Amino acid sequence: MTEKELLEQLNQLKEVKPNQAWGSWLLSHILSQKSTVLTPQPQVKWAGFSFLKHYQKVLIPAFCVFLFVSSLALAQNSLPGNPFYSLKTLTQNVRLALAPQSEKPVVRLEIAQARLEDLKKTKDQEEKVASLTQTIKKDLNTIPQELKNIPQKQVALKTSQRVQEKTQNLTKLVEETNLKPAQKEELTNTVAETQNQVLALISETTEELNQCPNYLQNKLNDLQNYFVNQAQELTQWSAEDLTKVKMSLSEATNLVKAGNCLEAIEKIESINQLLQIHSLDTSSPQLEVQGVQVETSTSSTGE
Amino acid sequence: MTEQEFTALYQKNLDKVFRFIYFKVDSPETAQDLTSQVFLKFWQNNQPVKNPQAFLFQTARNQVIDFYRQKDKTPVSLEELQEQGQEIPQPSFAVQIELSFELENLKKALRRIKNEYSEVIIWYYLDDLSVKEIAEILNKRENNVRVLLHRALETLKKEVNEKNSV
Repeated sequence: MTEKELLEQLNQLKEVKPNQAWGSWLLSHILSQKSTVLTPQPQVKWAGFSFLKHYQKVLIPAFCVFLFVSSLALAQNSLPGNPFYSLKTLTQNVRLALAPQSEKPVVRLEIAQARLEDLKKTKDQEEKVASLTQTIKKDLNTIPQELKNIPQKQVALKTSQRVQEKTQNLTKLVEETNLKPAQKEELTNTVAETQNQVLALISETTEELNQCPNYLQNKLNDLQNYFVNQAQELTQWSAEDLTKVKMSLSEATNLVKAGNCLEAIEKIESINQLLQIHSLDTSSPQLEVQGVQVETSTSSTGE
Repeated sequence: MTEQEFTALYQKNLDKVFRFIYFKVDSPETAQDLTSQVFLKFWQNNQPVKNPQAFLFQTARNQVIDFYRQKDKTPVSLEELQEQGQEIPQPSFAVQIELSFELENLKKALRRIKNEYSEVIIWYYLDDLSVKEIAEILNKRENNVRVLLHRALETLKKEVNEKNSV
């Protein structure tokens, strides 16, 4: 194909256009986004006797809110066996569902603690107590896995430390409940197991954070060699960008040496972005960094 | 920016932005989604914009980069997708034209060459942007853009001819 033929074909590709109806719809949709921010003009009407209707409109929702709030208040002090206890459980579950991922283990532990407090005050109600005990066990068993699922290692470490602090008095709480000895023993073992798993996680995460994977250093070396070899092309870069690269390389090197892997990865990413903007040869050693996902694929010895 | 000003800018640039994204993602529906994001970001931007067109295309580039980064994809040709047994979307109502066999090949070739080459070709030959406008988008000198365009066209020609000779 000659250049002329290629240009003719490229010219034909200009005919590619979006669907007109969609284009019109998109415009109205975008413009409507800002219009929702505008405050509506208040409408002024002659009141007449309409204040009576208005009174009704306020009373009914207010009464519903009052009912709901009262129910919630009653529920907070309820115990297993009380009809309002399911509402209390529901509010606890909603609180857990709405908690961000990094906070879920702590919230779950606090809820388990609150439920143990409820068990302390409950007498009889064997069936309800047994069911609640199983729920508490399940929650405690879930906490270590939730901690492991937190992607950012530093956040996971802090949350784990908070969980570990809060589990200190759980064993005592279990002892103070009115559970049967066998149930107490089971729950105590679950608490101990959870504590052990959390401690192990703290230890593992601390070790991981203090050792950057070797490949980070290798990638840094590759980047440095690359910039040395491409010195001629770099003359087209602005002085500002060249300074940025030098500083980022130097900072990344220091961060890797200090074991601050996450910050080092961010610096390398900023160098990659500059490379992309200047669109040098793609044989350059751009590091595909996926943040903490990279960390989770490495062994704890930081290979 | 008033609604009227935005509407004028939108009508002037919608086809170009859509076309730019379409030739980079190869799915009309994805091109629609990303195009929507580009114009929405512009409309909701509170800062004054010196060069609206450059802003739109820079945002479009970033949207495409983010799209591939999140999806962990690299641009693949439809042929490769077919070989992998993936369902190829039928010509969609998202785009107003169905391409001939030759133009489909050219489209595939555009996606095989380097991003920077395909970008400048789309902007210059399809979207009718000037060298100066492209230089402003890329934050490069005009001479560099001219060199880039020359190399891009040569590469595209070579790519198309190699495929045709197979």
